[in-house]
Amino acid sequence: MDQKLIRNFSIVAHIDHGKSTLADRLLQRAGAISDRDLKEQVLDDMELERERGITIKASAVSIDMPVDGETYMFNLIDTPGHVDFHYEVDRAMAACDGALLVVDATQGVQAQTVANAYAAIGNDLEIIPVINKIDLPGAQPEDTALEVEHVLGIDAEHVQFVSAKTGEGVEELVRAIAKVLPPPKGDAGAPLQALVFDSVYDDYRGVICYLRIANGTIRKGQKVLLMGRARHYVVTELGKFRPAMTPVASLSAGEVGYMVANLKKLQDVTVGDTVTDALAPAAEALPGYDPPAQMVFCDFYPAGGEEYSELRDALNRLSLNDGSFTFQPENSDALGFGFRCGFLGLLHMDIVQERLEREAGVDIVQTAPSVSYEVLLRDGKVQRVDAAGDLPTPDKIEELREPIVETQMIIPAESVGPIMALAEQRRGEYKSQEYLSPQRVMLTYEFPFNEILYDFYDKLKSATRGYGTMDYHVVGYRASDLVKVQLLVNGQSVDALSFICHRSAADRRGRRILHRLRQEIGRQLFEIVLQAAIGSKVIARETLKPLRKNVTAKCYGGDVTRKRKLLEKQKAGKKRMKTIGRVDIPQKAFMVILEPED
Amino acid sequence: MTTSAEIRSLYVHVPFCHTLCGYCDFYSQVIDRRSVAPLVDALLLELQQLAAEHEIAIETLFVGGGTPTTLPPEELSRLLRALESLPRGEDTLEFTVEANPATVNSEIAGVLARHAVNRVSIGAQSFDPSELRVLERIHAPKQVVDTVAACRAAGIERINVDLIFGVPGQSLAAWESNLERVLELRTEHLSCYGLTYERGTPLFRQLQQGLVRRVDAEVEAEMYETTIDRLGAAGFGHYEISNFARPGRECRHNLRYWHNQTYAGIGPAAAGFVRGLRYKNVPDTAEYVRAIQAGRSPRIEHERLTLDRTARETAMLELRLIEGIDRRCFAERFGHDPMDLFRDAVAKHVELELLAVDEHALRLTRAGLLLADSVIADFL
Repeated sequence: MDQKLIRNFSIVAHIDHGKSTLADRLLQRAGAISDRDLKEQVLDDMELERERGITIKASAVSIDMPVDGETYMFNLIDTPGHVDFHYEVDRAMAACDGALLVVDATQGVQAQTVANAYAAIGNDLEIIPVINKIDLPGAQPEDTALEVEHVLGIDAEHVQFVSAKTGEGVEELVRAIAKVLPPPKGDAGAPLQALVFDSVYDDYRGVICYLRIANGTIRKGQKVLLMGRARHYVVTELGKFRPAMTPVASLSAGEVGYMVANLKKLQDVTVGDTVTDALAPAAEALPGYDPPAQMVFCDFYPAGGEEYSELRDALNRLSLNDGSFTFQPENSDALGFGFRCGFLGLLHMDIVQERLEREAGVDIVQTAPSVSYEVLLRDGKVQRVDAAGDLPTPDKIEELREPIVETQMIIPAESVGPIMALAEQRRGEYKSQEYLSPQRVMLTYEFPFNEILYDFYDKLKSATRGYGTMDYHVVGYRASDLVKVQLLVNGQSVDALSFICHRSAADRRGRRILHRLRQEIGRQLFEIVLQAAIGSKVIARETLKPLRKNVTAKCYGGDVTRKRKLLEKQKAGKKRMKTIGRVDIPQKAFMVILEPED
Repeated sequence: MTTSAEIRSLYVHVPFCHTLCGYCDFYSQVIDRRSVAPLVDALLLELQQLAAEHEIAIETLFVGGGTPTTLPPEELSRLLRALESLPRGEDTLEFTVEANPATVNSEIAGVLARHAVNRVSIGAQSFDPSELRVLERIHAPKQVVDTVAACRAAGIERINVDLIFGVPGQSLAAWESNLERVLELRTEHLSCYGLTYERGTPLFRQLQQGLVRRVDAEVEAEMYETTIDRLGAAGFGHYEISNFARPGRECRHNLRYWHNQTYAGIGPAAAGFVRGLRYKNVPDTAEYVRAIQAGRSPRIEHERLTLDRTARETAMLELRLIEGIDRRCFAERFGHDPMDLFRDAVAKHVELELLAVDEHALRLTRAGLLLADSVIADFL
């Protein structure tokens, strides 16, 4: 393959701006899928059913594209759209030389457009802005193009106007990809250097690595070295996604494809590692990636209590396909045996929980998500803490630091007031305000991550009548006046109900949570005292008087079975509760710290 | 144990009322003259079948409902005659019929007395017209007095009156005056029930819709405690959570339920417990009559109890009795002292002073009576 005719690129876009439809349109243009097969959004459900019923994610599709009498090879490298998966966006972009930045002509630049554009710029990609949906009545292609230039600083010279839906402008776009995006650099004759930019697990083949060949050539049967792991493997299969998996004999510099090499589990390979020849290795590895950082943590407990091993198996299975969440056994006095799990973000957490419940059929009790704090200890050591229960005692702590995220919010101009008020409430630090157009504003704030963890996005949506969009990325840790608020039930501290928060919010949150706990716990056979405390200082208190009367007035011959079943149910319900001291606490009570405020 | 016969107690359900009351969840329908005779026919047929399958030596009979006294005198008579002529056991017969105040005149009282009925249970519920309206009862307070008088005049020996406390809008003082009124009637037995909002009843819906308000739990608890004290002072023994009797006048039929002993039930929605099998008839009069006429079983629920479950159920029922669980009887019946079988529950509730234990029995304390369900749940 002539390297000059290869184009490696991603399509990036804010959600629903038409990325998948455009990808389909390109596949169709190349004849990689027939018109008849052009069901909506092939790339999106790229889980191709293989002959043995295996589903494989094709995140890199190779298509032959005739342009002006030459046949180019376009490699479309898929990227996830969501904020939680920035690191995946980054690593996909490392395999590209260019990017199509798709913007909806009726919506304009949105928060993820900004985030994706910055990621592409950061990876030195050549960007072609693609203004999509020009066929729609409300489309404002010229204004949108100006917005791209103005907000993102991307030269509008090569901007393309298309309708992925009707096909309008697609020919011109294909030509621009061929003429504007650069061919890959790299030397096919140099020692092999191939970047592993993704990996998936297949029940039959084991791990499938997605490769971008930077230099040299890789061949089937070749003995290769994974440089980061210093381990040798034999390449048993090489191929390309066209879009079905199609074996090839070799892949050369600039090409993109997949490799199967007897890797047993996802953990055997680090995405970002370099594959080189085992006998004639390259002098150095390609610059890799930082491993994805788990930013959001929570515990999963089996709701039934007895399903611990099922939950463990389900987590193990899931980790075969998703190497970016972590889990380790956890034992809580309140909830029993479970797992502490780390996620890239909240969406990632929701996805994992949903997959566990749906695919493994395990009902999960999930504790409140928390961020990962940094603790500077008196002895100068720095420690990460992601659960209030793990926080060292105050006398050992020199400084507590919390993660800060920079957040871009694109909102209607009339919502600026309410959003700034909301940001204020959440300890936001104003960075900038930029008018995209007279009607639309981009606000940039820095927030403590935990302030936007629960419900910030919902609040933003409702304050902007659904028009607001946001994206965030972690910019670092900052010292903050954080405290651990302990919850005590009849004097006994309950870790699962304790939380870390800013001192200014401790009283209010403590009182609110006690109030809700009181409702969930309900009167029992004796008096219950609920307290919130910082260290030994009680900041809030609620008292539940003992239950006064709970008696079935009538129980005659016809009532026996029903009454017995009612009481049995009551007892079974109690069994599912956690007992702290003598107090029965329903599992729902552990969820109160999850609830949004106000 | 006075006889080895299988069935010594029988419940008969008459599913008719003049009007339906908003709080009641017993199976009943508004009486329709045409369905009366077929129902009585069916009851008599089911009775025959029962007698064919089991040895009967009847000692307690209870005709409930519904309102059995809504039946026309000749139909009531036909039913009672059949019951009266069942083979008797060694104990003297206790024969109870439930009645509502507005349904008993001297003619009906005469019918009852003529057919060996010796106990009438009157659903008075309240002497306060506004409370009666909330409960959707059709009688006037005065009719309770008249009914008691009619029964006495007919020669009925034992009379029970049912009252309900915790009626929406009722004050503690209003309840106390109800108690005084009922004591004036000098009956042998009183049942005082805390109002239960039963799922599916109109009253339950009214509660959910906020149309009526529950009496404060604290006030309701005081009403109950006042009841125990006041009736005790008037010479009534408190023998079950909601039941009070002059010495020796406890309801023997109901005691059989609370000791989890065998009883048969006939009629729509009637339940029975025979040979370790709990059953219930279909709660639909027309369907019940059709089943009996066609020779099909009217039973829709069956549950065969294991020994363990029977033991737990027995504990549940006997704890309702003030005398509690007799440890020796329980051990003879189930092979375990209840102290062993229910060790954790006993320890917990003794510590909370809701349960008292001595060498003979396990029983709820005064505080335990108010929290009986919380205690009993731990025995199941």
